[in-house]
Amino acid sequence: MSTIEHDPASAATRLGAAEMAWLKAQRRAGGLWLRVAIAVPLVAGLFTVAQAFTLATIIDRALVGNVPPADKIGQVLQLVAIICARAGLALLGERLGSRASEDVKRAIRESLQASIMARSPEWLRERSSGVLASQLVDGVEALDGYFARFLPAMIAAAVLPLAFAIGLMPVDIVVGALFLVTAPLIPLFMALVGWGAEAASRRHMTAMTRLSGLFADRLRGILVLKLFGRAEDEVARVKAASDDVAKRTLQVLRIAFLSSAVLEFFAAIGVAGVALYVGLTYVGFIDLRGSTLGLQAGLFCLLMAPEVYMPLRTLAAHYHDRAAAKAAVADFAALIDTPEDVAASAAPTKSLPTGALPVTIRRLTLHAAGRGVILDDVDLDILAGARIAILGPSGIGKSSLIEAMARLRSFEGSISIGGVPLGEIDEGSLRREVALLGQRPRLFHGTIADNIRLARRDATDSEVSLAADRALVGDFADRTPDGLETAMGERGRGVSGGEAHRVALARIFLRDPGLILLDEPTAHLDAVTEARIIDAILAFAEGRTLVVVTHSEAVARSMDRIYRIAGGRLLPVPHRPVGVASARRERGDLP
Amino acid sequence: MKLLWPLILRRAPGFLLALALSVLTLAAGAGLLGVSGWFLTGAALAGTAVAFELFAPSSAVRGLSFLRIGARYGERMTGHAVTLAMLSELRSTLFARLIPLVPMKGVAGRTGDFVARLTADIEALDMVMLQAVLPLLTACTAAAGLALMLWLTLPEAVPVGVAGFALTALAVPLALVLGGRRIGAATVSASSDLRVAALDGIDGHGDLVALGATEAGMERFNAAAAQLRVARLAEARRVALGPALAQLGAGLTMAATLWLGLEALASDRISGPILTGVLLAILGLFEVTGPILRGAGRIGSALAASRRVSEIVTTRPLIRDPLAPARLPGEGPLVIDHVSYGYGIDRPVLTDVSFTAQPGERIAILGASGSGKSTLLGLITRLDDVNAGAIRFGGIDIRDATLADLHDHIALLTQDAPVFIGTVRDNLRIGSPFADDATLYTALGNARLAEFVRGLPQGLDTWLGESGATLSAGQARRLCLARTLLSPARLILLDEPTAGLDGATEAEFLGDLLTATEGRTLVVATHAALPRAAVDRVVRFEDGRLVETERR
Repeated sequence: MSTIEHDPASAATRLGAAEMAWLKAQRRAGGLWLRVAIAVPLVAGLFTVAQAFTLATIIDRALVGNVPPADKIGQVLQLVAIICARAGLALLGERLGSRASEDVKRAIRESLQASIMARSPEWLRERSSGVLASQLVDGVEALDGYFARFLPAMIAAAVLPLAFAIGLMPVDIVVGALFLVTAPLIPLFMALVGWGAEAASRRHMTAMTRLSGLFADRLRGILVLKLFGRAEDEVARVKAASDDVAKRTLQVLRIAFLSSAVLEFFAAIGVAGVALYVGLTYVGFIDLRGSTLGLQAGLFCLLMAPEVYMPLRTLAAHYHDRAAAKAAVADFAALIDTPEDVAASAAPTKSLPTGALPVTIRRLTLHAAGRGVILDDVDLDILAGARIAILGPSGIGKSSLIEAMARLRSFEGSISIGGVPLGEIDEGSLRREVALLGQRPRLFHGTIADNIRLARRDATDSEVSLAADRALVGDFADRTPDGLETAMGERGRGVSGGEAHRVALARIFLRDPGLILLDEPTAHLDAVTEARIIDAILAFAEGRTLVVVTHSEAVARSMDRIYRIAGGRLLPVPHRPVGVASARRERGDLP
Repeated sequence: MKLLWPLILRRAPGFLLALALSVLTLAAGAGLLGVSGWFLTGAALAGTAVAFELFAPSSAVRGLSFLRIGARYGERMTGHAVTLAMLSELRSTLFARLIPLVPMKGVAGRTGDFVARLTADIEALDMVMLQAVLPLLTACTAAAGLALMLWLTLPEAVPVGVAGFALTALAVPLALVLGGRRIGAATVSASSDLRVAALDGIDGHGDLVALGATEAGMERFNAAAAQLRVARLAEARRVALGPALAQLGAGLTMAATLWLGLEALASDRISGPILTGVLLAILGLFEVTGPILRGAGRIGSALAASRRVSEIVTTRPLIRDPLAPARLPGEGPLVIDHVSYGYGIDRPVLTDVSFTAQPGERIAILGASGSGKSTLLGLITRLDDVNAGAIRFGGIDIRDATLADLHDHIALLTQDAPVFIGTVRDNLRIGSPFADDATLYTALGNARLAEFVRGLPQGLDTWLGESGATLSAGQARRLCLARTLLSPARLILLDEPTAGLDGATEAEFLGDLLTATEGRTLVVATHAALPRAAVDRVVRFEDGRLVETERR
């Protein structure tokens, strides 16, 4: 994020009451540390007063009352002690603030991630994982300044100037009144200016968001621009867009910077006002107080003048922390509430029987976002131990069907597995007995073996390597020096789609499910490997129910029954089951 | 900083003005406090108006107040104006320098990462002049001013005053920056571990649920979050020293000056009002440490960012134009002649591949992902050079022609071709800058997108990308295809053109390729099933080798 204090591209973020309340409620996770961190600047305020008073006393005594040098040492040492105490408090406040902020951020991350994990797969499908991950990492990080610095600074700015002003009243009523009036005016005027700047930001909003991303956008596409011979022309465009952003930003800053001018104005008025008032009182030009004013009291007032405005200055310096936090919260607001369907429904409790499981589907209707009805009023009976294939071109709804069977997609109608309605099966039992190979299996950061063992945490090394061998993982794992211990995922070795499928298949081979649901298990594979994988799958499916979704004719032909999805219907395809070998022989045309 | 210096120097007057205004702001603030203290004490000691000249100090107090307000506003405006202008130039300069360098070896597959880092690096540089360098320079000037003031009023305090100020405003921030480098690296790595854990949980959500392993995913994320907390806390402990040391430095310097001043006062070497003024002015000068400490944390990361950016732009391009380039003929056969290519010895990507595409011929390259199809298309457009063998167009080795000439003859639709921020027209005109709307619609029609664009309220002027209309993956792909078809090139290379299209559209699209590329040579890499009439010849790849060719 850019660190311009008032970035017009990100400024005019407005939070709803619920989000603002959520942000405030997160303080709780900061616990005692946050409360202490907020209290520390207030305590430090007492030392500020003590320091000003001691300094004023020392000067007063030196100039007016001729104090012997021996006493001076004691006083100066007292001053040094106060200075050290203030520094110590500053250190304490900063540390506790960070401590509280880290605790809050960790709690927020955990709860946001739990909220994401509790969502339906459909909800996740509609969102970019990169964006969600960045909200969890960078978005939450943007709250740091809000809790660590802004909150303590805000409380200090609300309390200290007024407390100082009231405290100065007994010393001199006029000075106290001057501070009492000017200090609250500052936030008022700053807010007025802030509104002006926000309005100016909004005027430029569309143009700013369009142009500010242009550089990154053209950078991403630089190769394509180069291939078309257009890159040089785009340099001028990037420059023009950047210049335009700069010009518009300055127009907004012109107003936004008035707020710092307001702060300067009042701070200067405060110091100058005290100096002139006290000075003129001394020489008898003005007389607003009945009694005389000593040098000590006058100096004390003058020394306090900058300190009265200091908390406001600190707050202003940390004000962009608040803007950043608001922008971040607005960005991940959708993650804040726990989804209702998860929160409301009671956990189902029925268990599945072990062994091959039959599936009964009645009047099943499936919808997909943007594609309307993909399956309409479908009935299907799958006998225990049956092996069926579902064919159809990509995008027709095959994957949605098996996702519905694995309770990963909502549907209308009924699906029963092993005689138990899908909605009543206990989550643990369902996942133990029903294995699903998704269309794009994810390889997690870790070794190949770690990835396979995810299916069963207590599996031994030999069980893992057996499962890997059966899924032909060895074909590519053996080519690397570390074999199954090769690191995979984001920062490990890159994997092709076909390789990821085989690792995911090995996960299934490690378990003992009664129903196996496979989505395109041979996608990205050449004919020979495909045939070997089909053999392995059929061998494993012995004594289990197998449903394979595919557009490979070779895979389909090795099953007992074939269905085809067309026009929202599930149509049986006439088919005489063949052995794998003859299926392979018949192959030879294009996939 | 190599990259920044010329840009800064070109704007030296602007930065100097901002610096001058910044110094003036600080001086006016310190002056205001100093004069006030002096005036107040003087008035108290005089006791009557007769004995005290009022006009000069009171008008100085008022004048300095307004000087400070104006200087502060001016400093911020000039500083931001010059910084924003510099950033704009930095972006375009960087972009221009990158053009000959892409694609870079090693980042080819991670362009997204690379761009994200580069953009983040530039943002780390954006306000560093203003928030870190300018306050530091202001502090240096202030140190000189402090020395002068003390030399004139209380010479024995010069060493302690200047040392205290330099330690607080310069040495402490510098030490914090230097000490923070290692810890900063720990935070960066913990935060990227957290990102990986988050992505694993989100992208792998379906797998985790199906495996009944969501708990495991959440545990890993929580462990990474705890790790990041520990790393950040270590960093925070160091950062917390900043404000504390600043307060300590300001207070102790003032106290030491006070002590020396009281001695001088006793021996009448300094007057009471001046001593008070000097003490208050010192307090005022230390105000500059606040912005320095806030900005200092950024210097380390800015320097690192600047170093990375400089490294990139000073790399020598991989592919350079020949000194005496040959001109490619308008049309001619494309000959792939015993081409081998790989990343190092143990990772061959293509091994001894040969085939020829005659003018007007349509060739499909089939093969599993990872079999070398995309690599071959990249070599034909000279994104890198072959390790062995040669690629010739119209009888001329493509290494003997200029890149611009080559790209006029050969157009490539890459697998990850982006839709650019801009209008539909902007996006299409990248393929052909001066094409009229009729031509654009013809290309859109060939890519089966014309109806959709006509249906948009603003048609070709519809804004795409951020804060604009969004296209589905299939529509985006078709837009990129239309852009490629607009190119005047006689040889069109398509890398997985139907990725993201559904089955029906894919079949339709491949069937239409014939008309869409009428009269041009076409090489298409795909693993989709091809209709029989779509191409003249099929070339099949397996593990980087050409295993069969088949005439249709």
